[in-house]
Amino acid sequence: MLLDVLQGAEAGGFILIQDTVKCTGRGILKCFINAALKRGEDVHVLGFEASETEVCAGLDRSCVQKLHFHKGFPDPLGWMCRSSFTVDQLTSQHITKLIKDSQHVKAPVLVIDSLSLVLRHHDPVVISQRLQELRKGGDVKTIISLLHSDLHLQGVVGIVSHLASTVISVAPANNEHHAVATTTRRTKSGKVMQEEEYFSVSEDVTLSVQAKLRPPGHVQKEQKVAEADPASNLTFNLRLSEEERKAKEKVALPFVFSKEKKSALLRPTPGSGRIMYEPDANDDFDEEDPDDDLDV
Amino acid sequence: MFPELNNILNSTPDSFKPSDFILVSDRQADASFLIHHYLSFYLRAGCKVCFLGLVQSFSHYSAVGQRLGVSLAQAREKGQLVFLEGLKDSIGAILQEESSQGTQHLSYLRSPGAGLKGLFRFVETSVSQNGARDDGESWGPPVLLIDDLSVLLSLGVTVGAILDFTLYCQATVCTELQGNMVILVRCEEEDVDDDEEGANLLQRGLVHQCNLALHVEGLPTGYCRDIHGQMQVWWRQSGETMYNPRKIFHFKVHDKGASFFARGTSSAVL
Repeated sequence: MLLDVLQGAEAGGFILIQDTVKCTGRGILKCFINAALKRGEDVHVLGFEASETEVCAGLDRSCVQKLHFHKGFPDPLGWMCRSSFTVDQLTSQHITKLIKDSQHVKAPVLVIDSLSLVLRHHDPVVISQRLQELRKGGDVKTIISLLHSDLHLQGVVGIVSHLASTVISVAPANNEHHAVATTTRRTKSGKVMQEEEYFSVSEDVTLSVQAKLRPPGHVQKEQKVAEADPASNLTFNLRLSEEERKAKEKVALPFVFSKEKKSALLRPTPGSGRIMYEPDANDDFDEEDPDDDLDV
Repeated sequence: MFPELNNILNSTPDSFKPSDFILVSDRQADASFLIHHYLSFYLRAGCKVCFLGLVQSFSHYSAVGQRLGVSLAQAREKGQLVFLEGLKDSIGAILQEESSQGTQHLSYLRSPGAGLKGLFRFVETSVSQNGARDDGESWGPPVLLIDDLSVLLSLGVTVGAILDFTLYCQATVCTELQGNMVILVRCEEEDVDDDEEGANLLQRGLVHQCNLALHVEGLPTGYCRDIHGQMQVWWRQSGETMYNPRKIFHFKVHDKGASFFARGTSSAVL
């Protein structure tokens, strides 16, 4: 499903990439940028946390003129007054103006790196409203954003995830060269699909999905070594011959209630005591056998 | 400077990786010996060092530095070392009627909610001034050392403001000036509700930004006389590589240094 999301990028979508300290999500973000550039789309990147060289390293050289990097990074808050884009400028009016200035034919893709810095300085509800305005406005085709989920309260992460049409969470895998991506996709009809896949990012920023993740039980089965026969290599004999096995199966176990034993017990033996019971007025004598419903 | 640590990290004063952001953190242990290591390392490498000493006095670092073979007083006189003595200057900043030009960098003491812009300006001016050495050559790439950053949390500064400050420092020192940055953060015990504002949130935010994270803890099995603790080295390459190797070493701190060894190879055990 991850590759479908990478190639698809339907209009009006909001793709959220969540990462933690254990596994960074910037690799996948760059794959998305590269895929959009290869499709011939214009990409606007709002870089707040990483420098332009770092984000653009390894991207397809031939499509570089379609990439518009708005330098938030050395000065995302405007302290040094030499930034071309600050955190406060993430509003629908500003973005719309930026896009109109670039005069594109089709609506471009907007990439935000990262949303964590924006959420540190603005109320999540306000940011959600602005993102929703951008989505519905039609000036932007898709919004793709990176979020560090371990730097915010769970509620805040939940608010932004709810807004997204696709959420991709990355986590480390046991294998060193891959990571695990959990993709949750919500279609317009409301259906939710989820899938876990191994993936890796190559040096030329292409995503390769290795395999679907199998449920943990199966993985353990394959890793189990063939069990050794415990009855081998002993100084005494634990095995049975054919006659011994037949004799063993014939033995009647003492507490198993077989048919012969039941009929033997029910037959009255001579000389045994007889019980004579005469109920008096107070007794509640029920003719039914209380053990009738037992399945013996 | 600890030669064994240089071997582990593959760096010497003559050749080390530029534009590096090194995060030193500890949990219920004391990682300040690593700050002393880096201070003597970069002074020996001939770099211009800006040291924000917020928790100890200058004489403390000077005394330890002498045991490691560097003279901080000399470095300060020559202009190689710019030392912000947080403890001493704080009293002046708090007792003054209004903040004057000289204490602008400590403005967070009076109004912690306003952020660390003033402190950043101090750092910016210190690393940009490149005075000449005695022999006419200029100093090497600038280095910023901070000991320690989590004390600002107890002064009322928010985690967000500290993360902004370190982002700006990284942008200026590491990305623009190709210098290095070493920051010490002290963490609290891991708790279930770990997304609350606190030292652990600050440490996570810094790990996201850094290139190398050294985490010092006590031994999980308890106190030992011959091994003072374990240090986890986490190489975090910025980029697409999924593989960020982590290694754990044991260490013992001596009078004049510290020795590092792989787990289980302490001389007391072998």
